[in-house]
Amino acid sequence: MSKPGPKPKSALSLHAGIYKADAVKDVAESLGITSLSETVASALASDVEYRVHQVVEEASRFMRHARRTTLTTSDIDLALRTLNIEPLYGHTPHASTTFRRALPFPNTPSAGTVYFVEDEEIDFDKVLREEKIIIPKGVNWTAHWLAVEGVQPLVPENPPAVPREDAAAPPSAALNGKSPQLGLAKSQQASAPQTQPNQLVKQVLSRELQLYYTRLTSSLLPPSTAPAETAKRTAALASLRADAGLQALLPYLVKWIGEGVVSALREETDAEQEGRTLEILLDVTSAILENSTLFIEPYLHQLLPSILSVLLHASLPSSHAKHLRTAAAQMLGRVLTQHSTTYPSLSPRIMKTLLVALLGNTPTAQSTTSTTVNGFAMDTSGTPTRDGARGPPKPLGTREGAIRGLIGIGKEAVRKGILEGGGARIVGEEITASRVESASGVVEAVMMALDTLQPPSDMPETLDSSREEDARLIAQLRDLLGEFFTSRVVSRGDRGWAAGLVASVST
Amino acid sequence: MSSNTPAPSSTGVSPSTANANAQDAAQSANPVDRLVLEYLRARGHKSAEAALLEAIESGSTEVSGNTLSSDDLIKGLAVFAQKPSRPGENVLKDSSSVLQELSTMGNPSSIQTLIASLGTAGAEEILSLDPTDKHEGFRELESWVEGSLDMYKPEFLPMLFPIFCHFYLDLVQKGFKEAALHFHATFSPSLAPTHNVTLHHLSTLMLPSHVQNDDLAQRFRNEKYVIRMSRSGFSLLIGWLTEGVGGETPGAGEGFSGEKGKRGRAAVMRVVNNHLRFDVTNASATSVSPNAWEESTGLLSSLIPAIAQPNGSSAVPNPHTFNTSKGELKLGPAPTSEELRAEAERILREQAMLDRDPSAQYDAHFTRPQALPGIVSPTEADLLPHPPSFKTIDVQREVEKVRDARKRIRLDPSAMSSVDMNSTQSTSARSKALPSICAYTMHDVGEGVPCCTFSPDISLMAAGFSESYIRLWSLKGEKLRGLRSDASPDVADSSGVSRLLEPDGSNTRKLIGHSGPVYSLSFDPLGGSAAPPKYLLSGSADATTRLWSLDTMTNVVAYRGHQNPVWDVQWSPMGTYFATASRDRTARLWSTDRTSALRLYVGHLSDVDCVRFHPNSLYLATGSDDWTARLWDVQRGTCVRVFIGHQGTLSALAISPDGRYLASAGEDLAINLWDLGSGRRIKKMTGHAASIYSLSFSAESSLLVSGGADWTVRCWDVRGAGSQVKPHENGVDEPQTLRPAEESNETTDLLATFPTKRTPVINVHFTPRNLCLAAGYYLPLEPR
Repeated sequence: MSKPGPKPKSALSLHAGIYKADAVKDVAESLGITSLSETVASALASDVEYRVHQVVEEASRFMRHARRTTLTTSDIDLALRTLNIEPLYGHTPHASTTFRRALPFPNTPSAGTVYFVEDEEIDFDKVLREEKIIIPKGVNWTAHWLAVEGVQPLVPENPPAVPREDAAAPPSAALNGKSPQLGLAKSQQASAPQTQPNQLVKQVLSRELQLYYTRLTSSLLPPSTAPAETAKRTAALASLRADAGLQALLPYLVKWIGEGVVSALREETDAEQEGRTLEILLDVTSAILENSTLFIEPYLHQLLPSILSVLLHASLPSSHAKHLRTAAAQMLGRVLTQHSTTYPSLSPRIMKTLLVALLGNTPTAQSTTSTTVNGFAMDTSGTPTRDGARGPPKPLGTREGAIRGLIGIGKEAVRKGILEGGGARIVGEEITASRVESASGVVEAVMMALDTLQPPSDMPETLDSSREEDARLIAQLRDLLGEFFTSRVVSRGDRGWAAGLVASVST
Repeated sequence: MSSNTPAPSSTGVSPSTANANAQDAAQSANPVDRLVLEYLRARGHKSAEAALLEAIESGSTEVSGNTLSSDDLIKGLAVFAQKPSRPGENVLKDSSSVLQELSTMGNPSSIQTLIASLGTAGAEEILSLDPTDKHEGFRELESWVEGSLDMYKPEFLPMLFPIFCHFYLDLVQKGFKEAALHFHATFSPSLAPTHNVTLHHLSTLMLPSHVQNDDLAQRFRNEKYVIRMSRSGFSLLIGWLTEGVGGETPGAGEGFSGEKGKRGRAAVMRVVNNHLRFDVTNASATSVSPNAWEESTGLLSSLIPAIAQPNGSSAVPNPHTFNTSKGELKLGPAPTSEELRAEAERILREQAMLDRDPSAQYDAHFTRPQALPGIVSPTEADLLPHPPSFKTIDVQREVEKVRDARKRIRLDPSAMSSVDMNSTQSTSARSKALPSICAYTMHDVGEGVPCCTFSPDISLMAAGFSESYIRLWSLKGEKLRGLRSDASPDVADSSGVSRLLEPDGSNTRKLIGHSGPVYSLSFDPLGGSAAPPKYLLSGSADATTRLWSLDTMTNVVAYRGHQNPVWDVQWSPMGTYFATASRDRTARLWSTDRTSALRLYVGHLSDVDCVRFHPNSLYLATGSDDWTARLWDVQRGTCVRVFIGHQGTLSALAISPDGRYLASAGEDLAINLWDLGSGRRIKKMTGHAASIYSLSFSAESSLLVSGGADWTVRCWDVRGAGSQVKPHENGVDEPQTLRPAEESNETTDLLATFPTKRTPVINVHFTPRNLCLAAGYYLPLEPR
């Protein structure tokens, strides 16, 4: 790479090499030799060229050993020194200083000629108005993962540069190599390159994709019921669901969803508006999940908090609450079925989050645990705290969401949460304690969960508390579900079903 | 010797003058004759001058055009040949040999007598002065090679290059500068691109004195260029060359037509006879792999050290015969003393008890070096002298070695070969096969960082700068404390040592002492991965190697001895000794306690660029500007293996931890893998697009990682067979970054390419637990 290959010389430059005889003659004339013959000049030119090549060849060795691909003046100096020739001083790779001769002093002729460095005049006004030049701190280093188990993580330091907001890539946590500098690397990674990646975003996304992104997000939100808008939204969702080549946009979309969910839940807006916004955001999430051309796995840890936020939020607008929770729960189930094989820690983590949300005793305790226990950076944590501060009513909404989530995950999760974990009992106690009328959602969710656990029998047979057998069953149910839901179950009047519920725990 | 510059010592009409005359006759308009005439006039050779003028006139009048038949020339010259005085010997060596050849060929007796009467002014030499025959001859040769059967082409193609070089040098030496340039311009583009460096170098030679003084030109002149050829191919070549002597075969197509063609072929033959040497093998032409010529072609005789052979010097120089003649190497792991091993095992057992980790006590077998079958392990007596007792640090190192072996991430590149890269299993296969790489990027480096290295325990990173200083960084975030400037050394108690140190240090430390760019750094390996190193070695352009104490952060010793910049320095695996490589064409072995070198390894024909110790410290590998790598016996100082095959300067070396392989990277952008035992090349791996700066083997020797100036880190499969063509697939994240130009030359054993952002990777390093570290410096977009 360093040396130029031999350029096929054209027939025009046949007479000599690169260094022409004319140049030699010019030099000779400057030295006062006027009668230099053609042959001497051409021989000298050839020799000069050879010597120059010798120096350059030597200098290129210094360049190579300096691990550079450009030849600098210092390489030439070192080469000259090695060849026992005096170096050419005064040539630096940077702009050299120029000296000017001062006008002679008429007063003191003894001072001789005076030279001075010609300084550029700097206009402070102009300099101050211009943007600041940052002076580099000197040599420093940063560390990042170039590859993690053979896969190049998509961190800003790596060239494909689909930037990701948080540097904590999930695989790096699983890395078991001996890496004392790991922690340091992380901190470096977080702090130092902050300035770089932000600029890079623009370079990475093509103009078309940027345009697509703005169009897409503007057509989706804010929600409006105008028929034209609805049609646009449907088209946008269809495009998200099926179009290929959106991989580069994925981090932005995921972030957009996350921010949308948080702002919709935080801000005290009109309930109707909020519900519709969340609905659309869920639609977008499901569209992304359905798109088979997208490689969603690295972004799951960012996407899940949004879904869980919708699912577990305490006070969703009542008109949409049920639909939103059901949709979020279904999506959760979908994510789990699709990705739990390749992302083994996914389902335990979600389970844990849901169980904490369901079983956490008081809202405050719940809020703390939910931040620490689950593996994801949850946005929900703030919401229950606010509810907790307000005191009762307890966030039955969160519990309902958790139950629906468990239903979405599957039968086993329901059994663990509702029956074995005592979810139903806690919910029941709370309902009786708070005497809230609006608890119908929770009750319905619990009953649905029980339904998934054990399908109701075709020919229901009423329970008779007077019968010893049934009384025992009811006692068991009471142990299992608590007072409130036992009465519900009993009132359903289906013995086979109730027995099945009890049996499902004991097996 | 050129014709227009006769030796000044010669008196009378020297034969070379006669040559010039004859040549003038051939080219009446040549400016050379003016020179000669002037010369003759100055010397006062009136008669010769007159005769020359006459000859010029007759040449221009009688013969139209600028060619003359040889007979005419000889007749014309007979006059001058009558009075030859003592010729300059070296001038006529060639011509007299040609004469002998001619006479043995059985020319007509009249010509023989004529030639004999000519004496030392050979007719052949006169003919050879005409520059056009070279042009013609090479054109014919090229078209013959091009027209040959495909199966012979790979054999014949390497022949073009030396003949080209010799023709070019001949032309330059005879003073035909224009003809030489024309010749170079016409034919050099068609030669293999691998010869670019040499061709470029040759193109800079333009005067006879250059040819006299240039090393490469003299090597071409004085050594035989070895070409390997199959028997059938060789006989075809002989047939083509000799055909001309008996006259043209009818219907030979273009062939050699007329006198000019014949002389062209004679020129080719002259080079073949004088400067080429054919290593004729019985192998069939088809069984030779396309890259095989690299190993057995070239100016080998000086590259390969002479060996005393019973059958004299007649054997064709061959790296393999040399390598086999040197016998078997002891490539097994170095033995550890029994007490040290026992102590390490005891500590391991204790640790296992403390940790209640029952599996850990079976680790003890790791302390015993596992010799691979078929490899001889050295005995204690073979090793370099070292202190017989062991210290705490030695035990710690051995213990840590066992832990490392246990906790190592197993990398198995073969996992990738069996899996289709598009399938879902590919991710898991990649994670099994490929390492995690942590990249350390330096910013704002000024004029450049020639080197950067990590300590064996990865607690320190050191970088050498073009601005002559070294900078140390603690990777653990600890403070680096040097010695206080006001410290008094008379502190008896042990607590005093820490008082001598500076009260507060910083994360980084500048070591100043060199007066030239620092090209190489090496941390002492004694602590292994258990303890931080105590010493650092640095080699610099100021021709010194310096030893730095990391306890005091000062320069302890400067080792002087090299005459030229020290390109590389490396500690021996057991500490105490180290080796340096320098531009003065030597590698040297030093001991830290002596300021002069213990051994000199002399034999490379050019700069020694890199040096690496074999893991058992018995051998030393060097890579050089003469395109070869060598393996030296450290104690005896003799060369035991030569590795010929690179087509450019070697830039990096690595020896596998199991001691069996040598990987070398060259400026031909290839990485060659060599078997140390046999000295043979296992394979050639290509794919890098710019210089390769660093190589490193994984702890199991199954994976090779390379970093280079093309801003990439690449992983290579050591065990797998590599082949040229490959459907490109590098994983999920690759496709966006691929540049189309790169794809063409990648061999299949390139497992993965990890591009960086404008960061030439100057060092790659595997930790004993198989984490890979890479260091580079970020190139800002606009040069400052």
